[in-house]
Amino acid sequence: MQSPPPALGLRPPEATASGGRSWARVRRVVANPVVQFFTAGALALLVLLVGSGWLSERAATREAIWDARTTTDLLASSVVEPALTRGVVAGNSAAVDRFDKMMLRHVLSDDVLRVKIWSRDGSIVYSDQTRLIGETFSLGAEETDILRDGGSDAEVSDLDEPENRFERGQGRLLEVYTQVRAPGGQRLLFEAYFSYDDVSRRSGQVLDAFRPITIAVLLIFLAVTGPLVWVLARRLDASAAARERLLVAAVEASDVERRRIARDLHDGVVQQLAGTSFALSATARESASRPDDARQLEVLAGGVRQSLRALRSLLVEIYPPELKTEGLAAALDDLVAPVAANGVQVDVHVADTSGLPDETVALMWRVAQEAVRNAYRHARCRRLAVIVDREPGRVKLEVVDDGSGFDPSAPPAPGHLGLRSLFDLIHDAGGDLAVTSSPGQGTRVKLEAATP
Amino acid sequence: MNRKYRSFAGTGIAAAVVAVSVLTAPTASANDDDVIRRGNCSGATDWKLKASPEDGRIEVEGEVDSFRKGQTWRWRIFHDGDVSARGTATTRGPSGSFEVRRVVVNSRGVDTIGWRSVNTRSGEVCRGSLRF
Repeated sequence: MQSPPPALGLRPPEATASGGRSWARVRRVVANPVVQFFTAGALALLVLLVGSGWLSERAATREAIWDARTTTDLLASSVVEPALTRGVVAGNSAAVDRFDKMMLRHVLSDDVLRVKIWSRDGSIVYSDQTRLIGETFSLGAEETDILRDGGSDAEVSDLDEPENRFERGQGRLLEVYTQVRAPGGQRLLFEAYFSYDDVSRRSGQVLDAFRPITIAVLLIFLAVTGPLVWVLARRLDASAAARERLLVAAVEASDVERRRIARDLHDGVVQQLAGTSFALSATARESASRPDDARQLEVLAGGVRQSLRALRSLLVEIYPPELKTEGLAAALDDLVAPVAANGVQVDVHVADTSGLPDETVALMWRVAQEAVRNAYRHARCRRLAVIVDREPGRVKLEVVDDGSGFDPSAPPAPGHLGLRSLFDLIHDAGGDLAVTSSPGQGTRVKLEAATP
Repeated sequence: MNRKYRSFAGTGIAAAVVAVSVLTAPTASANDDDVIRRGNCSGATDWKLKASPEDGRIEVEGEVDSFRKGQTWRWRIFHDGDVSARGTATTRGPSGSFEVRRVVVNSRGVDTIGWRSVNTRSGEVCRGSLRF
């Protein structure tokens, strides 16, 4: 006797999904350990490339900023500060000319694209962009701090700022500030602008140095471990196949045993009970002169018939009927008989199933059995319809009830698989199984399978 | 008035016109934005001062034509009254001239550019200025 599946038996995770052979093939490929291993390797390679690129850019950025700060400090202390005169700070044109000449010759270069010297009030004392000289802008907190306390700072230029309007169109720039002192002791802010392309170039250099090594190591690792994984996967496959063969053998043995028990019951106890029932009924009819005895005999005959029906239902459950000889329609009638006997209004409509493959008929029977069992035992339905319809190339089974329904997206209770156990079988046979339900709205189980 | 006299008189008028125009250092423009001044030095030498815009700066050209090569001159360029650049130069070529080019900062407002050159042997002085 099968253990009774709960109402959750109709809750496979794939309950609302449908699929065919192609989907099953895709799932098999995805589940292949070798495919998974190499996919993981490819992903690791990708992550490695992206990660190393990011890290090298960070390292290069740090290095470039460090270099820019060092260069700026050096220029400020060794070139700019010695050349700064009171005249420059005071805005004397001739002094600015001489300072400008020196800056153009010794400071401006391919690396240093622009310089500005600021006074504390935010006015530009000098810039190689001479149109800025004499203009005043507000200084930020960091610049003010450097003017007051010394040190240096670097940041990416905000080219939207008005003081940087002449730098637009030169790409990203890195600006570095440091303090310089004029001859009178006045503190000024020296600002140098560097091309950010240098950062990218350094990043590329760092990356070029490490990327080939990283990729080579990973590829060698994959090359070495790939065959091992392949061998292991083959062994796993073989082990799984052996396990499946054992399972099939066990199921077949169980099947044989169930069939033997069913046959023994049918040929022995059922026949005996049927004979007893007939005998009791006949004896009751012959005992018309003794009404009390006749009534008693009829009651006994009814009890035997009831036991006979129960036993027949049990036989149907223990082993599916001989679908090939008796046909699907008869088997479905037997299946719903106990349900109808308990007051459920049952409609069975079965189209001509002649010529269908035995496997397809067996599959429809199994699905119908599970669906009817769930509808009756767990959904407590009052109406039930079992419909087998056939179209060219397709056959369709529908089991519809008006029971309590359920949420198909909820996971099944542990240990109760119900229809879920049939999904793989249905997919392998190229069929589609769809279960539509919601709490209080009944359930519709629909199986479609291809036919020759 | 005979023909010869008329010819002499015409030549003299033309020379006078040229002389006046040189002495008053008229402004001429090679380019719309250029400013040029010319003049005579204290002797027979001519000078020219030219200022041209140069990407936010001013290109200054000072020129001396003494018509004698091999002369040494000390020169200075003034910017708003102060010496911006200085040096020495020697007249060369058939024209006996030298030319100095320097770039100065174009400061806010009007810039005054000055030129002074002194012949180290004769002491002849050339000076001039322009506003840019």
